[in-house]
Amino acid sequence: MPDPSVSPLPSLSEHRVDWPDRAVASLVWLVALLVTGSLLWIVGDLARHGAPELSWSFLTDSPRDAGRAGGILPVVVSTLMILGICLAVSLPMDVGTAIFLAEFTRTGGLLAHFVRRSLDVLAGVPSIVFGLFGNAFFSIYLGMGFSILSGGLTLACMVLPILIRSTEEGFRSVPDEYRKAAAALGLSQPATLWQILLPVATPGLVVGLILGVGRALAETAALLFTSGYVARMPSSVLDSGRTLSIHIYDLAMNVPGGESNAYTTALVLITLLLMINVLTFWIADRWLHRGITHR
Amino acid sequence: MLPADLFRAPGRPGGVKGVVTSSRRTTLGGLLTLVLFGASGGCDSARGGAPIEDGRLQGRIAITGSSTVAPLVGEIARRFEEEYPAVRIDVQTGGTSRGIADVRREIAEIGMVSRVLRPEEADLLNHAIAVDGIAFIVHSKNPVPALTHEEIVGIFTGETRRWSEVGGGDREITVVNKADGRATLELFLSHFELRGEEVRPSVIIGDNQQGIRTVATSPDAVAYVSIGTASFESSRGTAIRLLPVDGVDPTLEALRDGTYPLTRPLNLVSRADSNLLVEAFLAYAASAEVHDLVEAQYFVPPVE
Repeated sequence: MPDPSVSPLPSLSEHRVDWPDRAVASLVWLVALLVTGSLLWIVGDLARHGAPELSWSFLTDSPRDAGRAGGILPVVVSTLMILGICLAVSLPMDVGTAIFLAEFTRTGGLLAHFVRRSLDVLAGVPSIVFGLFGNAFFSIYLGMGFSILSGGLTLACMVLPILIRSTEEGFRSVPDEYRKAAAALGLSQPATLWQILLPVATPGLVVGLILGVGRALAETAALLFTSGYVARMPSSVLDSGRTLSIHIYDLAMNVPGGESNAYTTALVLITLLLMINVLTFWIADRWLHRGITHR
Repeated sequence: MLPADLFRAPGRPGGVKGVVTSSRRTTLGGLLTLVLFGASGGCDSARGGAPIEDGRLQGRIAITGSSTVAPLVGEIARRFEEEYPAVRIDVQTGGTSRGIADVRREIAEIGMVSRVLRPEEADLLNHAIAVDGIAFIVHSKNPVPALTHEEIVGIFTGETRRWSEVGGGDREITVVNKADGRATLELFLSHFELRGEEVRPSVIIGDNQQGIRTVATSPDAVAYVSIGTASFESSRGTAIRLLPVDGVDPTLEALRDGTYPLTRPLNLVSRADSNLLVEAFLAYAASAEVHDLVEAQYFVPPVE
């Protein structure tokens, strides 16, 4: 005989289902908040320590007194030059290889499998290994010395695996119907690639680009051995040039009293990174609108 | 060498076109030949040429080595470049050992070395530009008044484990040691006549700043770092205290008058066949003209 005072079954089961649901939901919320919070914390900390020293002259002067005084203009210019070389070399190779992997190889093919595995291994290689390779090959064997060119090429080797794998995913995410429709309409393969596949695969390319640029801008170890440490305004890509990350590293590690300028430089670096990311999204968006999906 | 010109920005300031500009073109041309025709062989090291044109110094010097010395040499190089606008000096870092290796391999003209040269390095010429000392630092809340030679040996070999054994509180000692290959470690080991494997560290650090940060954030730590850096940091309120060694306070004055026992020279080294430009820079870097720069980097000018 059931006791009538005991709450009826439906509400009990409701209660049971409710509890883990809520726990999972709040856990997911908590994790998401933690991730956002840590980003805000880092940016906020940088802004708090770095903003007081940030001024127009900091962006337009050369470093003085080992970086404690003066600005960072040559460092910013070197950074942009190295990044430019890195992207100019790696982007065409990236798109080419990704198209090869996604469009020109059979699924499960031996060569594609081998290329993919090598890329995955390369993507996980520590940057210092790329630095030693770049120093031995570009700087010494090819005689480029400590130069922006050598640093940019080393970075290109480093970010290529990340770029290719993510661009390839972009191409793979294009539904097969698009390819079939293009073939049915009698579009040539280059036209299909340029007009349909590339615009639709752009989000993958953008993700790869943002990860790659982030890794390139953060790099110190590989560049100490290739592009070097010279904080003078570079007059060509064969000059040695110091990047923002190396400047921060040197100020924080080797220069007593360099912390405040290290913070300010870090603030500039993270602002630069955000600007590049926004610009990438903007260009990708325009590219998408140009393509078939939005016409 | 047309292809090489593509890489060179137009409008380079006149007069800078010196020794290495041309040698770089040759090597880049050599690289293209190498790629196009599969020719074997490395780059030609065609450094040299006339370091003086119309009575002015000109050309390029590459300097690599100790990261402790690099900021100082960078500043000296900037001043030298201001006096001789046709000279370019590229300062790179990577550690004392690399500085010596690069000078021997003729990748660099000058190496930066933050210790005394060893007998087997007698093939290189030595030029002292500054003196640095190493100080033992503890957290500012640590009550230990001073450490003797024996106490330091005891702590770093792990025989002394608690601060109470050397006059501090009843807490376990955190020993901070320098990474292998660092000149500070070598000076520490040779002064205390220890072998590397005898030291029992809890933490291993690389740079001076890292050591200072480690001690400032852990109340039971003891470390040894550059005196200049440590006294600068302690004067601006970082939570560290410099301990006297064998009764001598680690101050820049004690370094200057030579009474402090734990010092090391900061040197530039060069090959015996250096050209006039390199010799001029070496003489300049060791001269009294740059003593203000030496002091600005918290070192002491070399004792005559």
